[in-house]
Amino acid sequence: MDETVAEYIRRTVLKIPRCQIMEMLTMWEFLSKTQLQTINVHQLKERISQAVVELCEVITSIVNDQIVSNSHNFVFTISGIFSCITGEETDSFNLADFKYKFKRSLRSALKNVTINFREYEDNAIWIRIAWGTQYTKPNQYKATYVVYHSQTPYVFISSLRSSIPLLCQALVHASNYHDIHEMELRSRCIDSLKDIVFKRYSQTFQTYHPRPLQERNVAPEKVDPRIIQENKREKERIQSVNQEIFGEGLQPKIEFAQYKLETMFKGEPEMDILTEKEPFRCVVKFSSPHLLEALKSLAPAGMADAPLSPLLTCIPQKARNYFKIKERKGILSASCLGP
Amino acid sequence: SSTENVDPQKIAFLLRKQWTLYSVTPMYKFSYGNLKEYSRLLSAFVAAEKQKGLAVEVGNDLGIKVTLSTLLGLKGTDQDQVAVLVQIASRSQLPFENAENKVVWSGWFCCISGDDLLESVPEDFTCLSLFLANGAESYTAIVGSWFQKTFDCYFSRLTISPLNLAWMAAMWTGCKVDSHMAATELVFSVPCIPQSLDISYAIHSEDAKALWDTVQKTPGEVTQEEVNLFMDCLYSHFHRHFKIHLSATRLVKVSTSIASAHCDGNIKVLD
Repeated sequence: MDETVAEYIRRTVLKIPRCQIMEMLTMWEFLSKTQLQTINVHQLKERISQAVVELCEVITSIVNDQIVSNSHNFVFTISGIFSCITGEETDSFNLADFKYKFKRSLRSALKNVTINFREYEDNAIWIRIAWGTQYTKPNQYKATYVVYHSQTPYVFISSLRSSIPLLCQALVHASNYHDIHEMELRSRCIDSLKDIVFKRYSQTFQTYHPRPLQERNVAPEKVDPRIIQENKREKERIQSVNQEIFGEGLQPKIEFAQYKLETMFKGEPEMDILTEKEPFRCVVKFSSPHLLEALKSLAPAGMADAPLSPLLTCIPQKARNYFKIKERKGILSASCLGP
Repeated sequence: SSTENVDPQKIAFLLRKQWTLYSVTPMYKFSYGNLKEYSRLLSAFVAAEKQKGLAVEVGNDLGIKVTLSTLLGLKGTDQDQVAVLVQIASRSQLPFENAENKVVWSGWFCCISGDDLLESVPEDFTCLSLFLANGAESYTAIVGSWFQKTFDCYFSRLTISPLNLAWMAAMWTGCKVDSHMAATELVFSVPCIPQSLDISYAIHSEDAKALWDTVQKTPGEVTQEEVNLFMDCLYSHFHRHFKIHLSATRLVKVSTSIASAHCDGNIKVLD
């Protein structure tokens, strides 16, 4: 087994808290039960990790399993693959063929690279790539993860780096598609990215994350009849408009959205202060543990108008959270432009 | 705006550091003539506090030295008290290393009261109402408690209100900086919703300055109306795009090429 890989395993095991070691090793599923039993978790951690490394000597694909335990830490970008029109597209996806072509393409460009594959039940192929250079061994600590659902034209890539062109080239070659381009959609949670591109959110008849319907006709609480709810009609209007725009179900979970604005400055009519004909350049970033739910709650809280701006509500439909907005001639509202 | 001799090195050292702000009540029987004595007493106090619970031989001061000195050139008006700088330096413990002192903590007092309040301060009291600290919180606590005990004063964390942050944003945006200017960034936090939401609104420095220049009527003078108008313009431009009322959210941080300030009472002066 490669020295650097052995070292990587050793350091990873050392990082795990003692009480969780057995649990993690079992989850990794690459050591058999008998092998697991031989490990004594009460000895020095150094010895434990050394024992694990020794057991791994015969297994080469264990690093795949890091993918599962680390998947929540990355920022995933989506790339979309366009299908080739003049077809070399094969009818059925051949996994072995894909793997072979991918490895060959990447290795022809770069000698020092570690590539591991792992397949999961939902047709997802996880690829872990550790990059090296002409003179250095692959860096196991800064690997790139690629998730490819073979039945879809989407690929999710963790953390952008300079080796992306090589990676894209390999993907295109291996999948027999024509081209690949990066979508302006990024998130820490790969499942939300999947929700957005696979349109798995707020569908009319079937929700991916079903939740019990909320009671509409709630029995009135025993309130003092002298208390009147102000703006009741307005509140109801806001609720129904919100529901129309955002849908019933849970929103996909994204953490940020960024808008690069290059529109003309225009405030209220009285404030037409700037007579400059140059755009007012600014960058607006929204961040939240659950951005879309937060935006949804703004109008009911009185902090935004209903309907909310389409710049914000189009995020799931347009499958993007990075925008560049320029002035559209003649119309007040701005439009989205491609990257 | 002071005519005293300024020590540029001392002032320069204040830049590019993050300072936590405290409000200090007037100090009783503080004397500028006793700074050396205070240095000696505070050194002993800091050493004693740091040694609590450690088995250390008597007389070993752990290499800690505290110095109090005056900071010239930081008075707002001539009537203001002179600023006082407190520094804790730690000497390297290794025998053969260069026994140079390295500053591990700094704090400085300055007067920002202005003429009105100073007139009403009784004798024996020194009004240095603003304290800025940089370094470990433990040292800040020790130094603060010594001053509180010795001069019968009280320290409290100073928070900066959104109103004051807006003033800073307007004033700093208006300043001319020769070198490359960073954007004017305003960070808003949205209260009262189940998920927390932060909005960062960064305006290109030239465009922000152009807007401020059209708002400001008299150079060198800033009025509340001008600050309000500047902010309203920014809110209005934002609302046009996103339909969100920034005025209903809370301004928590302001950042420009000159300086940045956070409502928690942390500021950083860059230039």
